[in-house]
Amino acid sequence: MATQVQTANRHRRIIVWSLMLLIALMLFLPLIPYALAYVSPEAGGVPNPGTELWRAVRSGDKGTSQVQGVDTGVLINEYGEAWRHFRMEQLIPFGAMLMGSVLVLIVLFYLVSGPLRIPGGATGKKIQRFSVFERTTHWFTVSLFWLLALTGLILLYGRFVLIPVLGPEGFGLTASACKEAHNLFGPLFLVAILMMLLTFVKDNIYARGDITWLLKGGGMFGGGHVSAGRFNAGEKIWFWIAVLGGLVLSASGLVLDLAVFGQGREVMAISHVLHGIAALVVITVSFGHIYMGTAGVEGTISSMTNGYVDEAWAKSHHDRWYAEMQAAAGDDEAEQAGGGAAAGVASPVAND
Amino acid sequence: MARMKFLCDAERCIECNACVTACKNENEVPWGVNRRRVVTINDGSPGERSMSVACMHCSDAPCAAVCPVDCFYTTDDGVVLHDKDICIGCGYCFYACPFGAPQFPKNEAFGSRGKMDKCTFCAGGPLPDNSPEEYASYGSNRLAEGKLPLCAEMCATRSLIAGDGDVVSEIFRERVTWRGSAGFAWGWGVAYNKSGIRKGKAIEGNAVGGD
Repeated sequence: MATQVQTANRHRRIIVWSLMLLIALMLFLPLIPYALAYVSPEAGGVPNPGTELWRAVRSGDKGTSQVQGVDTGVLINEYGEAWRHFRMEQLIPFGAMLMGSVLVLIVLFYLVSGPLRIPGGATGKKIQRFSVFERTTHWFTVSLFWLLALTGLILLYGRFVLIPVLGPEGFGLTASACKEAHNLFGPLFLVAILMMLLTFVKDNIYARGDITWLLKGGGMFGGGHVSAGRFNAGEKIWFWIAVLGGLVLSASGLVLDLAVFGQGREVMAISHVLHGIAALVVITVSFGHIYMGTAGVEGTISSMTNGYVDEAWAKSHHDRWYAEMQAAAGDDEAEQAGGGAAAGVASPVAND
Repeated sequence: MARMKFLCDAERCIECNACVTACKNENEVPWGVNRRRVVTINDGSPGERSMSVACMHCSDAPCAAVCPVDCFYTTDDGVVLHDKDICIGCGYCFYACPFGAPQFPKNEAFGSRGKMDKCTFCAGGPLPDNSPEEYASYGSNRLAEGKLPLCAEMCATRSLIAGDGDVVSEIFRERVTWRGSAGFAWGWGVAYNKSGIRKGKAIEGNAVGGD
């Protein structure tokens, strides 16, 4: 009797447990695909065609359109946001900071150390540094450079600086004039840069002593005299920044200016990025060049106005070049011994 | 205040280009300018979809952000317009726009493009409403007459819907309910979903209806 009760109890337990197991399986088995999808999203079954298409479009997939033109089949231009971010949040603020801080540094340097005087004062004896052709090349480039730099800077910063002054319509007119000038005169800058390259490259190749000059900061530290040829290492670096920067500016500028070869927004955006960076770098470094050529070093500016510098200036800043010129002048005088004094001005060395 | 929006239901667009033609005719746009165009993705393959695209009147309009002369403005209806008397035709709005909405009447050497032209949501420009000057520069001003953009009014399959963003999304929501699937819709609230820039009052977030 007891065994019968035991058997019945066991059967009841088995039935109850089986039912509970069945219910548990019914509840949990359908969750397995969800669990798998949770672990590995790829195993989640059929992709949503709408999502797939949307994603393809967002990543720049090209379609077709009845409307003819460059890139008309592109539904979403994926470079637009990157370009906006670069121009508005990087180029404009960082460019302003770069130019501003260099200007402040130059002013501080001038206030602290003042101009670099000619040691022992000017002698009054003049030596020709730049020929008429060299000066023409330089000032031709300068004029174009500042025309383009100012018009470009107005287009970049005018919205923040000039609209409050000129008003929207007034600035619209100014900006329009700047854009036309920039676009029309821009291609000429390539001519100027190539003329600069051809005129000055021979004296801007690396020479012995340039590293020493740089390590001593052009004579600012380390003491002792720094020797230099016709151009010192600082001038050579400026030359190459100006020429290479100018070539980048010309190439990217021509892509932007002559948008008639079917170049799309991607090419235009990349060209604009290169153009902006190169422009701000060359403009910033030009501040240093202008300072050194005018207020920074006494007796330098005349080399680019009338072409002559004082002998003491030459001896102090460009001793090796001075020695070369003296040697050449000696040869010339020997050659022109029978030619009379008519060659006075054309001779590299003239008395003031 | 209502915020005007376009929405193109890609499940309905049949690439008939009636919206493009209606726009060109209504606004008398110059040759070469297409304020609206239809783009077909996967043309001829399974899953082909067409979408009518024009200016989406973004609440964080990137064109307005990059404009060097700041000639863009947003109306009370949320329509992004620009002043052609200030525009210098530099093309920057075209580089920044995700949709290629800004158009230029010319494309010649030395960056000569003419004044930018784009979809105005048939809301004219800054000149007096429905004046001949406004029509000549910006095209029709249907909004001032209480009408919606002609492209959407013309759409035979009612794929392209225009109007108050809330109403437009309500219509689309109803469609989705009947259809049982959202499919693929083409609408736009914020261009790059960035907070902080000209965030709209009525519409926030991304595509209406999405997937």
